[in-house]
This record gives sequence, C-alpha cells and structure tokens, in this order.
Amino acid sequence: MAIHSKGKKRGTASREAAAAAAQEEKAAAAFPKSKGIDVPSDPEHSSDDDEDVEEGDFEEMLKKMADDQGIDSEDAEDYLAGDSLDEEEGDEEDESDIHSSDIEGASSEDGDDGSGSESDNESGDESEADDSILERITSRSSDGQHTAVDSQDEEASEEELGEVSMDKLTIRDFGRDIQGWKEYRKTLPQIDAGYASDSSTEEPENTIGSVPIEWYEDYPHIGYDIDGKRIMKPATADELDKFLANMDDPDVFRTARDEVNQQDVKLSEEEIDIIRRIQGGSIPDADYNQYEDTVEWFTSQTMQVPLSGAPLAKRGFIPSKWEHKRVMKIVRAIRQGRITRPSAASSNAKPRFYDVWEKAEQDDDSTQQKRLARRARMPAPRMALPSHDESYHPPVEYLPTDAERQSWLDEEPDYRKKNYLPQDFGSLRSVPGYERFVHERFQRCLDLYLAPRMLKRTTQLNAEELMPKLPDPRDLRPFPSAQALVYLGHTGRVRSISVDPTGLWLLSGSDDGTVRLWEIVTGRCARIWDLKETVHMVAWCPNPDVCVFAAAAGSRTVIVIPAELCDEQKRLLSEELVRAGFNSSAQNEEEEDDDSLPVSWDMPTSTEQASGIHISVTMHKTVKSVMWHRRGDYLATLTAEEGGSSVLIHQMSKHKSQRPFRKLKGAVQCIMFHPTKPWFLVATQRYVRIYNLMQQALIKTLQPGVKWISSIDVHPQGDNVIVGSYDKKLSWFDLDLSVKPYRSIRYHQQAIRQVQYSRKFPLFATASDDGSIQVYHGMVYQDLNQNPLIVPLKILRGHEIRSSLGVLDCLFHPIQPWLLSSGADGTIRLWT
Amino acid sequence: MGKIKKKFSEGGSRTYTTRNRALRKLQVSLADFRRLCILKGVYPVEPRSQKKANRGSSKPTTFYYAKDIQLLLSEPLIAKFREHKIFLRKLQRALGKDDLTRAKGLESRRPEYTLDHLVIERYPTFVDALRDLDDALCMVFLFATMPAVNQVNNEVVDDCKRLSTEFMHYVIHSHSLRKVFLSIKGIYYQAEIQGQSITWIVPYQFSQNVPLDVDFKVMSTFLHFYRTLLGFANYRLFTMANLSYPPKVDQLMDDSAAGLGSLKIEAKRMEDLIKSAQPASGDDNSAARAPAAAMTKQMKQRLDTLGSKIKKIVAADASHINADQAPAYESVGESAADGDMDDEARQSGGLLFAKQVFFLSREVPRYSLEFVIRACGGRLGWDQTSGGGSPYAENDRAVTVQVSDRPVQGHQFLDRKYVQPQWVYDSINAHRLLDVDDYLIGQPLPPHLSPFVEYAEGDYVPEAATKMAAAAGFEGEVTNLKPEDRDKSEDSEEDGDDAADIDGASADEEEADSDAEEDEDEDDTAEKQRQKQLLAEQAGVPFSEYQQRQAQGKPKPKPKAANKKRSKAEVEEEERQKIAISMLSKKKRKVVNRTQDEATKKAKDINTLKARKSLAASKPVAKTSKSKRN
Repeated sequence: MAIHSKGKKRGTASREAAAAAAQEEKAAAAFPKSKGIDVPSDPEHSSDDDEDVEEGDFEEMLKKMADDQGIDSEDAEDYLAGDSLDEEEGDEEDESDIHSSDIEGASSEDGDDGSGSESDNESGDESEADDSILERITSRSSDGQHTAVDSQDEEASEEELGEVSMDKLTIRDFGRDIQGWKEYRKTLPQIDAGYASDSSTEEPENTIGSVPIEWYEDYPHIGYDIDGKRIMKPATADELDKFLANMDDPDVFRTARDEVNQQDVKLSEEEIDIIRRIQGGSIPDADYNQYEDTVEWFTSQTMQVPLSGAPLAKRGFIPSKWEHKRVMKIVRAIRQGRITRPSAASSNAKPRFYDVWEKAEQDDDSTQQKRLARRARMPAPRMALPSHDESYHPPVEYLPTDAERQSWLDEEPDYRKKNYLPQDFGSLRSVPGYERFVHERFQRCLDLYLAPRMLKRTTQLNAEELMPKLPDPRDLRPFPSAQALVYLGHTGRVRSISVDPTGLWLLSGSDDGTVRLWEIVTGRCARIWDLKETVHMVAWCPNPDVCVFAAAAGSRTVIVIPAELCDEQKRLLSEELVRAGFNSSAQNEEEEDDDSLPVSWDMPTSTEQASGIHISVTMHKTVKSVMWHRRGDYLATLTAEEGGSSVLIHQMSKHKSQRPFRKLKGAVQCIMFHPTKPWFLVATQRYVRIYNLMQQALIKTLQPGVKWISSIDVHPQGDNVIVGSYDKKLSWFDLDLSVKPYRSIRYHQQAIRQVQYSRKFPLFATASDDGSIQVYHGMVYQDLNQNPLIVPLKILRGHEIRSSLGVLDCLFHPIQPWLLSSGADGTIRLWT
Repeated sequence: MGKIKKKFSEGGSRTYTTRNRALRKLQVSLADFRRLCILKGVYPVEPRSQKKANRGSSKPTTFYYAKDIQLLLSEPLIAKFREHKIFLRKLQRALGKDDLTRAKGLESRRPEYTLDHLVIERYPTFVDALRDLDDALCMVFLFATMPAVNQVNNEVVDDCKRLSTEFMHYVIHSHSLRKVFLSIKGIYYQAEIQGQSITWIVPYQFSQNVPLDVDFKVMSTFLHFYRTLLGFANYRLFTMANLSYPPKVDQLMDDSAAGLGSLKIEAKRMEDLIKSAQPASGDDNSAARAPAAAMTKQMKQRLDTLGSKIKKIVAADASHINADQAPAYESVGESAADGDMDDEARQSGGLLFAKQVFFLSREVPRYSLEFVIRACGGRLGWDQTSGGGSPYAENDRAVTVQVSDRPVQGHQFLDRKYVQPQWVYDSINAHRLLDVDDYLIGQPLPPHLSPFVEYAEGDYVPEAATKMAAAAGFEGEVTNLKPEDRDKSEDSEEDGDDAADIDGASADEEEADSDAEEDEDEDDTAEKQRQKQLLAEQAGVPFSEYQQRQAQGKPKPKPKAANKKRSKAEVEEEERQKIAISMLSKKKRKVVNRTQDEATKKAKDINTLKARKSLAASKPVAKTSKSKRN
C-alpha cells in the first residue's frame, strides 16, 4: 500500500501518467482519473523488462534521477525479494479493488453527473482534480465513521499521505472496529500527494537506511531490516550468463542497475525521452507548454450584481478635489500656451530671417530717431588692413633678416609689434594653415567687449601749421651771426664785461683778479689793473661826458679813470666828479656816523692812484654787482648778505652812501636802475620788485614763475623787462600789461646766466651755461595795442664749457649790432 | 543758503558706473552680464577722470556708461536668461533623479531666444549693419571651416557654412568684389556693397586646430549674434537684388562637395512678388500702397522687356556653341534675375574675366578661386577630384586659361594659357588682365603686394608696385581707371572735363614715352615723372594743377654740385626750426615733437627696407636657389 501511495506522490507523476494513460487503453478504461493510471501500468512494464543494465551512462543517469526525484516506487518494488514480492501481488489486487470500488462509490454517491464530470476533467487541471477528490472524501466522511491506525504500515502510509488528506481521512470514526476500518480503507480512493509534494522523506524499499552501498560490496547482504535481520542481496547470475542475457536482450541499452535495490531498471520510453530532452537542453517534460495562453485573474466581464450590498461611500461618487486640481493645472498651462502640441509649435514658427530694416523704416520717426540716438556712440575701431609684409610672397625687402627674426622670436609675445613673422612661401601650394587664426579672432572678440573705449579727437595737425608765423630772420638783419674776434689774456673766468659809451673800449673783470681794457676792433689789450681779488663786476659810467668806470673786487668797489683813453677836458670833468665828494664827505661826516652804514669811502694808495684808481669804497661783504644810474652820479651796489643793507646806493658827487631798504625779503639776486624813470628794480630769488625811489614806494612785483632768477634787464624804452633764470627759462614782461610774463621761452639746455637788451637795435640775447648765446629779435612797438614781436634769430656757439659753466656775461655793442660775450673759459668773444 | 548738494549726485560719478555696481543693479551673474554686453554691444569706457567716476577712488576699475546699463535693465533677454537658468535647474534635477521622461519633456520645451530685436536696435539702418559686417563675416567664415568638436556645435558649423555661401553668392551676383590679398594668415577679400567697403578674412582650407586656451563660450555668444546679423543682411541683400531667399539647397550637388554650386540662386518668383505686394494693397495705409504700385509698375516694365530679352538669349545661344554646356547658375541665377545690367556689362567686356573660361587644376584652392573668378564675371570648370558639378572638363575647347600650381605641367593644350593662381588675384587687384609671362608655371613669381596699402607722400613704394603702375600707364587710360571713375565718365556728360584731362594726361604720357625711347639717359627721369603723374592722378589732382606744379618745380632743379651747399642751407633751416619750436606753447611743442618723431621713425623704417633690399640684391644666388627650392 505504502508503495503505491508513494508512487502517486512522485514529482512528475501526474502529467507523465496522463501520457501513459493514452497508451494503455485498459487502464484508461478502468480508471477515469488520470492520477491513478500509472500505478497499475508501471509494475506491468517493469515486470516485463526485468533485466540488468550494462551501459554505465544510463546507470549513472538513473542514479541521478533517483537522487533528484526519488526512486520510483513501482521500480523499487521489483527488487524486493521473497515475501515483499508476494505482498506486491496482493497489493496489486487491492489496488484494482480500490479502483473498482472507487468507481462504484463514485457512481453510487454522486449519481450520474459524477462520472461525466470526471471524464471531462481527465486531462484538465490538477487543482480541479484535487477538488473533485476532496469532494468525494467529504461526502463519505459525512457518514460519521472514524479512522483508526491498526498497523505500522498503515500508519506510515497515512503519514505519507500529507497533511491535506490526513484531516479529511480522520473524519469517519470506526472506534475499535479495525477490520471494519480495513474494509472501509479499501474503498478509499488513491491519494495523490500532488505535483509539489515533498519527496525528501521517501525511503528506499529495502530499509537499509542511508548506509553507503559499497560497504556491503563483499557481503551477501546489503543491510539490515528494522528487526536487525539481514536483508540479503538477490541471487545474481554469473558474468557469462549476464553477458549472454545482454546479447539476447534488445533492451540492454535502456537498462540501468540500481545498486541500492540490487536490481536492473529498464527505462521506459518516456524516461528515455526525458533523458534525450535533458541532453538536448530543452525542457524535460514533453507536454509542458511554455507559451500557454494567459488566464485572466479577474474576468473582463462586468458583474451585474454587486459583490457587497454595502452602500457606496460618499467619496465614491464625489469627484476628487485633488485630481481636479491637477487637471486644472494642466488646463491653465494649455490656456496660457505653456503646453503646446509639438506639431503646433513647429508649424507656428516664423521664417528665421525677414526684412527687419523694412519694418524699422515703417516705424514712425520718433522711434527711429531714438534708435539712431542709441547707436553705439563709440564704434569699435576696424581691424587693421594687412600691409605688404603679410603677403605669402612679399618683396624681398619686407623679409626680416636672421637677426631680426631671432629678436622677434626672443621677444615676449605680448610685446611684439607685429603678431606674425613675414615669410616667403614662393608659391601658393606651399602656404600652410595659420595656427593662430582662432586666437586672433578670439582676441578681437575680447577687444570688442572688454577693452575700454575712449574717443580721442586727433586733428591731423601739420607741424608746419603749428609753427608760429614769424618773419624770416633774413629780413630782420642786422644781428650778430658769426664770431669775429676772440680776446685772449685772462687766466680765470671772465665774470663781467662792459663797453664804454663811445663803443671803442671794452673792460673785463675776471677771477684772476685783473681788470683788462681791450680795444674792441683790434682785440688789443690796452691796459691791466691788478686788483688782487676776484673781480665780480666792471661797469662804465654811462655819462658820455666823463670817462669813469667802477669795478667790484672782493668787498671793495673802486672808481677808476683810465687817463689814456680820454682827452684833457674829459679827464678834468671826470676827476672833478670823482674828487668833489671828498670835500662834501668831510662836511657830512657826522651824518654818516648816524647812519652807521658799513661803508667807508677811502682814498686809494698812491700806487693805485697812479694807476688811475681814484676812490675805493669798502663794504663788509663781497660786492656782487655794481650798477650805474643813467646820469652817472649814482651807483648801486649789491653785496652778498641778507637783509636791507645788501643794497646800497652811493652818490658819487657827495661820496655819500645810503640804504634804500630797511628790510628786504629774500636774497637779492640782482639790482637795476630803470633807464627812463626814477625806479629801482630788485630781483629776489622768485620775484622782481620795482620801487619808486622818489616816492619810496613799491610799484610792482613781477612774478616770472621761475624758481631762481639769475638776471634781469630793462628795455631801453622802459616798458619791457626780461628775466633770465637758472631753470633755463626766459620771461618777457610787458610792464603795462601784467605782472605775469607776456611770454616765456625755454630753449637753453642749461641755466641762463645773463640776459641783455641792445640799446640801439631791437635785439636781445641770452647767455647760458650750455655754452651758447641765443639772439632774439625783440621789437617793441610804439603803438600800445601791438604786442612786442619776439623772433628767435640765431644761436651763437663758441665758448667752451669749464666745470659746467659756459657763457657768464654778454653785452651788446652800444653803436654796432655786435655782441660781446665772456665765458668761463677765460675768453671774450665778439660776434658780428 | 541753498540746499546742500549730496556728494556724487552729479558729474562723472553719475555718468559712469563700475561693473560691480552694474551687476548689482541688473541682478545677473557675471557670465550673463558678459553675454548681455556682447549681444547688446555694450562696452566699457575710459572715463576722463577715473577718480571722479569712481567716487574718489583711484583703484583701477572697469567703467560703463550708466545709461548703457539703464538700457540693459529693460532688456527682455534678461528674463530669457533667467528662464534658461530655471530650465537648467529643472533639467538637472530631473536627470539627477533619473526621471528621463520628465527630462525629455523639459528638453523639448527648452526656452530659446532670438536676437532679432537686437539687430534693429544696434543697427537702425541697413547701412549701419553693412558698416559693421567685417567682424561678423570673419567669424562666420572661420566657423564654417571649424571641425565639429566638443566646443563647436555641428549645427552651428552648418549654419555658418550656409550663411557664408549665401553671402558669397550675393557678392558674385552683384560683382562687388574689389580687392583680394593672399596673406600668410588667410585670404583677405574686400567687397563694396552700397558704398561700404567690407573686408573679411577667410582661413586657408585646412582643418582648424581648436586651441584649448580660447574661451569658446565668448566666441559662440558673438557668433550667435553675428549669425543673426548676417542672416538678416543676406535676406536684405538678396531681396534687393530680386533674388529669392533663402536659396534652395541642391542636395545632390551638396553631397558631391560642389561648394558654391550647392545653393540654387533663383530669381524671386512672380507669385512671391505679388504675394508680398498683396497685403500692402489690402491695407488702407496709403504709404504702404505706394511701394505696391511701384512693384506692379516694375513688373509691367519687366514684362515689356521680356520679349527683347528672350530674343537676346536666343541669339546668344545660337552664337555660342557651348551654350548647353554653360553652367546652370549663369542662365538661371544671373541673366534671369535682375541681371540685365550684369549681362550688358559682361557683353561689353566691363567685367574683368568676362571673356575668360578657366579650368582649375586639382592642386589650386578651388573654394577661393571659384568665388573670385565668378565675382569678376568669369566662367570656370575644375577637376573632378576637387568637387562635383564642374561645368567644363579639362579637355573642353572653350577653356582659355588653366590655373595650375605645380612645378611642371605635363600635357599642355596649345590653345590656352597656363598660369599660377597668383595671376588671378593680381589681375583683380590691378583691375586688368596682367601679362601671363610673369606667372608661367614653374617660374618664380613676382611679389604679391597688398592692395590695401595706400601710399602717402614720402612712403616707401616697393619696386613691384611702381612697375605695376608703370605697366598700367602703358596700357592706356581705361585700364588705369578705377571702375567707379569709369562709371562716372560713362554716366554723366558733365564730367567731360575730367575725362579730357585724363585723356590729355595719357597722351602726354605717350609723348613722354616716345621721348624716353629716343634718349636712354633720360629714361629713368621720364619714368619717374610718369610715376609721379600716376600718383598725382591717384590722389585726384587735376592734370592742369599737376602741370602747374611741375612748371613751378622745374626751374628749381640744381646741379649735383649744389647738393652739399644746399645741405648746409638745410642745416641752417633745421636750426631755425629748432629755435622756432622753442617759441611754441608746451602743448603745441609736444605735437610738433611727436610728428617729428614719427617722421624720423618713418625715415628709419624706409632705410631698413632699403638696406634689406640692397642686401638681398647683393646675394642674388641665395635668392634664386630659394625660389627654385619652392
């Protein structure tokens, strides 16, 4: 019994069995249910083919199958020896009984529809088949009988039935009536454990346990049964017999040896088919349809009657608010045109280009005007057009030399004047692509949006147009233009020169302590006075009636009458002028004491008197400058000291000195009498002050705007003043116009030492440390409305520069258009 | 007392604003601001006083006009940029969450902006746009040759190719090409369109290397605007030339690398004209109706002249054996379009290459030569390997000139001239067909000079240029004239005086020429005189005036012995100049000094050129060997 039930539980049982059922009509006719079919048929098969298997492959395969799926119960049956074999026969009978009774029961209880339904379900669903079995079981259990276990075999079989059938079976109560139960049991249907039932609990037929077979290889038995008795191996034929049997047997290829059950197993057609399928890599089950139609889990048909009678919830028939919101969102998007159909969007597109300017021209004037006004105020400069040297085949002169090429390569790329190196490729085919092309475009882009722009109005000025419209110097002759004579003799710097009013004689005072008298025209040195000290200044008395000059040597000023130059009358007049003072000075001695001026009028020594020196005026400090008044009676001296006492005015006729300024601001640089008015000019470092000596008042302060005034001169007509400065500038003042310069001229490279007007010609000159003398035409018109005309005429060069000193003094000849100059090189030069 | 003024409420600090202040005001990122500036054409400025502009600080800063920034404030592009920023954020988020469907949907709705309004804003009139077309063309032509790599979008490259080809077609159609220059950087072209000289450079046809140190974001922003500008300009130019825009693409030709031939230039169809006229006539606007009326009038005229034109075409066909071989573009694109002027001009030989048929060997740059030759009225064919669609084969008997750039030409047809490509370019610059003997194959070429150089007085004129000018003098007056001058003399009878002058000049030249032949000693001086004449003519000096000048100048010539003496006088003069400079005000003196410096520098440059030339002349062996090698 147990064996049969087990056979029904085999994994692949149900469908295999169905296939087998088709082959065997007898079984099919006997059992309408497919599950039961294989049980009787298989033993028949196996009994027929009771042979050994020779092929090792099959044996192995079989073993595998046995391991995987559990051993077929019906096959195992055959191996049982002795009593177990008998039992099997009995079982066979039982089984047939059971089946027949099953049919009877079924037909009796279920009536006519039972067999019909079952035959319909013959190849149908497994679950349905199970259901039908269960139905029958339940119908029987309603009789009220109970089940009981009488033997171990039966118990085991019951255990093996599985949980599903167990519950159903214990419904009928038999009490102690075991025989009754046994009877009843025969009527019970075969139980199919189902496809998915567990077969791991199956045991082999011989109950030897899980002892390895090979342990018993050398024994006659293969193990022990539950009672400790040996289970003997079945009798085996010897090898020869086996061989012969194999030779005779046509089925030897499908026979495998089952070592556990000690029997040969003949594989059925289906099993071989399965093996083939496995070998071929397909699904072992021949009937399995991989591509079955889907079975709907829920039917598509609408049910007319509701499953539940409960009333519908309110939310079931009220539209969802949130859904509504979501929909509205989309609706709004569509309305606003945020969502469009892609096709609509593409068809809506305008042509990419159209005539924009035509549209603009149709606009009204104001908009267009606005646009025009908004146009770029500073259009970007255009790219520079290429020159010849950018050509692929330029003229030879545009190709750089090797040195130039190297210097270009060495230069920092940003500092190169041109961003390419001219090259000659000879022919167009050998011109390569230009590597920096993209870079240059990019650079242009950067320039366009990053470079600050500025409008630079550059009027194309011609240098000639800018030049002042000046008369040609050739028309302004005469003026000194070339060197005529050089007066040599001084051994030191010639600091000062002076020409006598007749224009015949020249005096010069030098650092070598001498004053020399020169004949201008010949350059002959007529006389030398050695004053022992540096002669800073020599000055002829401007009075033409007398022949007197003053020389400043050290702190002493001497008045000299060069007797040999003048006739008798002139000499007498001069001496009278010079000596008259001694009497008056004696008279006014007391007054002088009051003044306490640092001046003493002395008679020179007799030797000096012999040389023509008549008066010696001694002051405390070095005398820098001596200036005569135009009448020749007054003499102004400037000493190198601070304060008011640096400037003194001496009266020749009275031998009297006076201090015009109590206080003076700054260091006085030079002094001068005005040529026409009773004015006195004092130049400090930065300003020129003009005082009226009569009224004792300051008239004007000229502001030349220079750092350090070196010299001044007043135009003979008295309305114009020129100021030279150590910072190379010459300033022309028009006294009527302003206290600021009418014109500043800067040409000299070094400091200006002296400026001088010509007394007779409209000329003036500047002498500078750069060794040059510049001669200008300086015309002053009588008409007050006309500005003075200043024309540069000539640069005179000749003096050498000694210890960065050049020309120290210059002077116009009183009658001729000549210029005399003295320099640090100890020479005096005449320019005609 | 009046109200106390707030500081920085007027003056420089109001006129200018710094970049950071502008950013704060506009509430945009720096990148967006840059993009805006590029697109709107807003540029930084240099204030007159940095300190005043920057509220007392003298820190170096970038300044903008405050008004410009005010203008940017109302720019619709700012909103578009914001939209785009938001879009990017959404897309990023969708991609980050792997929500590809959403990303796809977003991508399909990517916000895009057009720059149409900027074109009209920056260039209120078409002439303004033409004036600023140089940079646009350079850029578009460059990107048309760019490889489609990461930085450069494929579509952009295609668009640039198309726009540039369209523009070239217009230049060809209007025959407005004036100057060409083969430089080491690329090929410069200059066209004159509506009185505006437009110059652009095209790189040689090699694959451009894409440098890493170039910010392609900036370039592409510029390019976006330039593409828009050029597109609108092309539209306008095509419409004004009565051509339909956009021209159709001939896919077959395009695939066979036909270059210019890939676009089909067609006359504006009648229907289009009518269509464009219709809405205007439908309006009540009388101003709009006027052009429509003009249009219909024009159409009538065209219809009237149609018959005669057809006759002309038929006659031309009959006379020309190769009529069926003639390229399609000629018959369709030019004669049928508003090309009556062109045809006549070509017939009368007004265009330079009107009577020439070129054949280009495969080693010459077809893309450039095709454009240049067609723009000057020539017809051409090319080797099959350099692109499809050639209307002439190499063995075509109609070919008169073959352009070839190889050391040796194997088989030569006797009925055509073989020249190197430089001949074509030099001829265009000289406005006449040059002597081919200088340009024969395998020969060292005469130097290629830049046509953009204009010689002022005292400039160095290379020998080749003087030679060219002299040769032009021999040719006679017509070739020597610029095309504009010719038009003028033809158009108006009033200019007869000028024409007479020119004739007189040329007659005089011929006389001088004969004189020169007689006496070889005077040859040099005569030639110099001629050059002077030519220069004077170029400068637009009337001949009578020129003669007067000559007459004044003539008694002056001095013997060579006087040279030294004069130099002494010059020295004096120079000194006088120096003294005079001292009389100038500081400002003027600076100017004068600068001009003098410039003059000395110029003289120095000329001296170096001369020195180099004499050096090269002293080593003629090296030179020839070099040219041979090439």
